[in-house]
Amino acid sequence: MRQRTTFIHKPGDGVDPAALKVTASDITGPPLTCIREDRLTFAVDELPKELKDVLKQTHELHIRWSSAEPYETVAPLLSRLPPGLHVFYTPLDAQAAESEDICNLLHTAFGKLDCITPRVSFTAIEQGRFSHSSAYQYYQQLENPAPLSTFSEYAKEKLCKVNDAACLDEMDDHLAAPAYIDISFDAISHALKVTAVSRYYEHDDRITRDMRVTSRPGHRTEVGILSEDKPPTLEPEEIGISGLLTVLEQDSKPSPVLFSFPSRHRHAEGEFTSKLLQPTGLHPTLQLSIASTKPPLEDAYCSPHAYYTLPRWIFPDRYQLSDDLFLASKNLTALRYVSQPVDLEAPEYAMKIWGSAMLLELSPPAIDGQPWTVEVPLHLRYLTPAEEGYQHKQIPYPAVFWACNAEEGTKFPVNPFDRVNLGYDGLFGPRTVFWHVDPKPETGGSLSNDITIPVLDTAKAGWVNAGTAAVVMLGFAWVLWKLFGVYTQVASSTTASTPVKGTEDKKTK
Amino acid sequence: MAMRDSQADTAAVSPIQRAPQMTTSPVAKFFSTPAPIYSAAALLRVIFLLYGLYQDTNTAIKYTDIDYLVFTDAARSVSRSQSPYARETYRYTPLLAWLLLPTAWRTSSQLGNAALFASGKILFAVADLAAGWLIERVLVTRPGVEHDTRMDPARARMFAAIWLLNPMVATISTRGSSEGLLAVLVMMLLWAVLSRRVALAGLLLGFGVHFKIYPFIYAPAIVWWMDGERLGQGTAVRQQQTWSGRLKGFVTPARMRLTLISLITFFGLNVVMLSLYGSPFLLHTYFHHVTRIDHRHNFSPYNVQLYLASAAPTSAGLRIESVAFLPQLLLSCVLIPLAMAKVDLPACMLAQTFAFVTFNKVCTSQYFLWYMIYLPLYLPNSSFLRDRRLGVIALSLWVVGQALWLQQGYKLEFLGESTFVPGLWLTSLAFFLVNCWILGVIIGDAGERAGVRGAGVKVYQDN
Repeated sequence: MRQRTTFIHKPGDGVDPAALKVTASDITGPPLTCIREDRLTFAVDELPKELKDVLKQTHELHIRWSSAEPYETVAPLLSRLPPGLHVFYTPLDAQAAESEDICNLLHTAFGKLDCITPRVSFTAIEQGRFSHSSAYQYYQQLENPAPLSTFSEYAKEKLCKVNDAACLDEMDDHLAAPAYIDISFDAISHALKVTAVSRYYEHDDRITRDMRVTSRPGHRTEVGILSEDKPPTLEPEEIGISGLLTVLEQDSKPSPVLFSFPSRHRHAEGEFTSKLLQPTGLHPTLQLSIASTKPPLEDAYCSPHAYYTLPRWIFPDRYQLSDDLFLASKNLTALRYVSQPVDLEAPEYAMKIWGSAMLLELSPPAIDGQPWTVEVPLHLRYLTPAEEGYQHKQIPYPAVFWACNAEEGTKFPVNPFDRVNLGYDGLFGPRTVFWHVDPKPETGGSLSNDITIPVLDTAKAGWVNAGTAAVVMLGFAWVLWKLFGVYTQVASSTTASTPVKGTEDKKTK
Repeated sequence: MAMRDSQADTAAVSPIQRAPQMTTSPVAKFFSTPAPIYSAAALLRVIFLLYGLYQDTNTAIKYTDIDYLVFTDAARSVSRSQSPYARETYRYTPLLAWLLLPTAWRTSSQLGNAALFASGKILFAVADLAAGWLIERVLVTRPGVEHDTRMDPARARMFAAIWLLNPMVATISTRGSSEGLLAVLVMMLLWAVLSRRVALAGLLLGFGVHFKIYPFIYAPAIVWWMDGERLGQGTAVRQQQTWSGRLKGFVTPARMRLTLISLITFFGLNVVMLSLYGSPFLLHTYFHHVTRIDHRHNFSPYNVQLYLASAAPTSAGLRIESVAFLPQLLLSCVLIPLAMAKVDLPACMLAQTFAFVTFNKVCTSQYFLWYMIYLPLYLPNSSFLRDRRLGVIALSLWVVGQALWLQQGYKLEFLGESTFVPGLWLTSLAFFLVNCWILGVIIGDAGERAGVRGAGVKVYQDN
């Protein structure tokens, strides 16, 4: 196992190298206003059995959880995802897609999910069109509050010895309320990386605590204190980084570093909020309010997008989203992608697939730099009946970004802080840069929109079976009675007509 | 509607006598020749079609029915030699997609493209006009109802106007619903049967069932109607004393031909479609209707119950939804044909369709067109026209029943209120009972006709 801990602060919030104290096993320093990223890298042999079993059948796996509480990003950790648990998975072979192992692992690590097997519950991503995407996608919201409580227990059990209080405390600390966590594996590197990224500490009590990282004996531990920098040679698509790096048990003092790399993810000015237009009915419309129509780059082609991961009780209708007039009236350019299949009729409780991912290209009105809105029409499925006749759900916020074309010839080699396979990145060409717009909650603290969905009221449904049966029987009986009347009439008229049947036939012909 | 016209009302009592008087009024003049009514009906559809074109190109809310987009998408698939079932929710015979192939063609002019896209709607509208014309033919020739005086053509057109000038019919066709095609099919079927064109009737019956399943309910009525006496073949079954004799008498050549030709048509079409498009054809065209649980709210009395049952599939006890087909099929396929087919075949088919739609597990307003096509044939001799008060009450109850349900549906669909119970449930049951009552009156009328016929025969005897 290797550990990499990075404190990322904003330029100007740095720490005096003289204030850092490096000993044989740890590094300490004054409190920092920053984001803390912890990354553990495991060889497959070091992993628990259930994980090893899954990885044996895996070509590529990314499990990402993103918080529904808003968090600030600091360069270079600028990528964003809709809040919730995202799984991107490429099995080694078709048989692995039928296996329940990955879903069992997810149940163990994250609690009860609607996952059965990749073939049944995941959506398949077209490999022809997006060759750099993983093959299957899964998404689910985790239960609030404490969405990571199961994962936290799981991580403690797997990573800490039973009596190691320091380790247990540290896990609690990292997993109580991170901004996001990533668990990534690919069969080529044969290593599993677990990354937890904290919120920006500014408003956190941890700001008053000293900075401290302790090495684990026998494991390489690297500690960085970094921030964005602008060296004179920086290219426009690059992010520059400078700061201090220390490898514990190896370095006696931090060494200064300065490096730069082209970054796929950037931060755009402004923010957006999402709200539901009232009344929501069974066809709710989400309204995105975006702070500015101004693209982040003047000299490149940029276009705003919204990437949604919609739980299965709510869905887009791609046929409705194909009419240009309709789209234009909502400030939409096009539905660029929706995962398949989307059953347009099935009730929620008959669905086995997780839901649908959708990429919308937005169409800012031609008003310079002004706030603007977009409307996203969606549809609800029937949900299971409930007390009171309503179910309460949350629609997760989308990721909103400007997709800009980088200059010809730009390459994005994997950088130390990169995240690849986020669902939307594979839907764009390899030279696309994502300028993320910060989400801002509508009300309350959550990056989701609360919706009340009308369902059959179980408290009032007691008479439905018997009542329906009785009324149908009543109607049926009435019609039978009238039919009986016809039979008797026909019978009496036939009796009268029988003797002269032959005559009748002749006369009518 | 023409049926509310007071002259039409009194004329119902004695059509022939009233006919000369009618020529004096402007209404009578309108119906005296075919040109005005058919021009008016065509004009109505052209106006609706053009209005729809305008609305579709200028506003975000579309006039065109979503189903029409399904049809045309499927037609596009077919034009690219793909399966029409590549389009989700395409649940129809591939023939429909083939018929709409022109909608997938493109020209260099925008106007040409709009016309090509609308060609399917034009086809549906022409079909429902043709259905109207067939109504007139059936009324005028009355080939199956021996004891009726044949209707004067002007009067027949007045009743055909219930269909031809009905804005609901024109709207449904021009929005791109295929019900117009079905209307002309079943009307042609009735006309073929009444004029004793057995082979044609068999073809149409097989084709109709392939197209939309429900016309299978007409098979028993037609077979029962088609007895040896009526077809002028063999002897009356009733004169046979033994069971085997009766059975022999029942199995007439005409009945055999109808059965064989319709079965060959139905299975022949299915085999062709199955070989072309494989199991998705069977799955979407037929099995979907058996296995579906996507019962979003509709007029059916079973609707809320089905929602409840599908959401809790483990509950024990007798499942009424699994026996719901019993009253429906018993009425529409057995009891109504047996009682009514020989008395009045058009009224029998109306009652069958009415029962089928009323007792169905899914019921939307498009289904009402299935029975509306028969109204012009039934109303002339109905209690609803004889007793005007009864007619007004029935029509009002039918409209109010729907309106009450629609109000609950609106609250659910657009305001998000949980109106499943009691709102939607009770209004759908009320509408169901209204429909049962109307169905009872229609059946009662057949009883009266049977009685009148009995009396009529007695007159023969007396002579």
